[in-house]
Amino acid sequence: MGDLSVQIGLVARGDTAAFDVVYEQIASSVFGIVLRVMRDPAQSEEVSQDVMLEIWRDAAKFDPRRGSGMAWVTTLAHRRAVDRVRSVQKQSDRELRVATADIPYDEVAEAVESTFERERVRRCLDSLTDLQRESVNLAYYRGYTYGQVASLLGVPTGTIKTRMRDALVRLRDCLGAAL
Amino acid sequence: MKLRELNLPGRRTRDREPHTLAGAYVMDAITPPDRARFESHLARCEECAQEVASLREATARLAGAAAVAPPAALKERVMAAAAMTRQHPPVTSETESQVRMTRSGTWHRSMAGRSGRVRLAVAAGAAAAVVVLAAAVVFGVSAGTMRHQLSQAQSSSQQVAAVLTAHDATMMTGTVAGGGTVTIVMSHAMHALVFTAAGLHPLSASRGYELWLIGPAGTRPVGMLPPDSSHMTGPLVASGLRPGDHLALTAAPPGGSARPNAPMMLDVTL
Repeated sequence: MGDLSVQIGLVARGDTAAFDVVYEQIASSVFGIVLRVMRDPAQSEEVSQDVMLEIWRDAAKFDPRRGSGMAWVTTLAHRRAVDRVRSVQKQSDRELRVATADIPYDEVAEAVESTFERERVRRCLDSLTDLQRESVNLAYYRGYTYGQVASLLGVPTGTIKTRMRDALVRLRDCLGAAL
Repeated sequence: MKLRELNLPGRRTRDREPHTLAGAYVMDAITPPDRARFESHLARCEECAQEVASLREATARLAGAAAVAPPAALKERVMAAAAMTRQHPPVTSETESQVRMTRSGTWHRSMAGRSGRVRLAVAAGAAAAVVVLAAAVVFGVSAGTMRHQLSQAQSSSQQVAAVLTAHDATMMTGTVAGGGTVTIVMSHAMHALVFTAAGLHPLSASRGYELWLIGPAGTRPVGMLPPDSSHMTGPLVASGLRPGDHLALTAAPPGGSARPNAPMMLDVTL
């Protein structure tokens, strides 16, 4: 069991010092993925705050037998960001969509901390087929559903579902080997 | 083997199809109905649960590769909010059965009629402590309390009664960011809902709570909440409810605002 998992276990018992440690370990991953999906820094801060509070509140739900602490945390963060983006789209709030869609990708990418980890993930992403890599980019980093990804790439939904799964299996194996 | 496949084509498709959704599910690239279907499949398929767990380690690395340090002020806000936020106890078989019991509880038998059901959903919250959870029903206002509140109704009691006694009346409860509980009884047949709140956190003098309906039919202000009397607010009737609407609560200037400004202190999918 990793250190983060142990700390989350302490948070579940109301340990605020442990929550401080957890915050330091997860803050940039949480904020980073939320920002990548949402693009808007102010909204990303709000959602990140919600995620952090959810971790505080629901630490007792974390089960270390079902995965790492980081997987639990980033799953919560990504889902919240995606749900938020989709509920905004549902409101057909076009102004907001136009305003945020225009931010060039590089502007966000520049803010990304350059780390070995990032390079490692990049190399593994490069080892995917084009269709697999695009599926992951559009789904995970941009928050599209597989149906939307299929229509953007002009590929049947069944194919996209399979490619998404294959891509993650390959990424998992590639990243695992690189550890 | 071949014969079985030929005999059970439908079953074979059903059994195989969820497996292929594992990647889309782990990346949240899935619609809510697909998500629910896949999760019920996961609960029965240990192998799938293990695959999902292992794929989540890969998405965690994708998240890590996008890491950006948040502004320092975020930490202060999180720590301050955590200090004021009660933690949820672990889920045990005991609490689970309590939730089930409450979900099918007396409210629906006595008030909501045959097709009553409790549904709770939350769109990812904008504000600090948006908490709307399925288990909130446990902490929600009981039917008895609700009736008591409603007996003090100042707004159109006939409208309120019409919603409460509708054959499809559905009750939902949730908590508001910053404090307070809301109880909503809605009827799509009546195109209306009744909104009450208890213990809403007082806003600064220049702001009030404004209620909105937001959905495919557009964003419509329902109105400003009246000042609370002994911690109770409402009941308020919101008419013009349309399929796919959310109910949202924002802080607004006294005359209301043109559009719902963030942060939303409550966002319930109706």
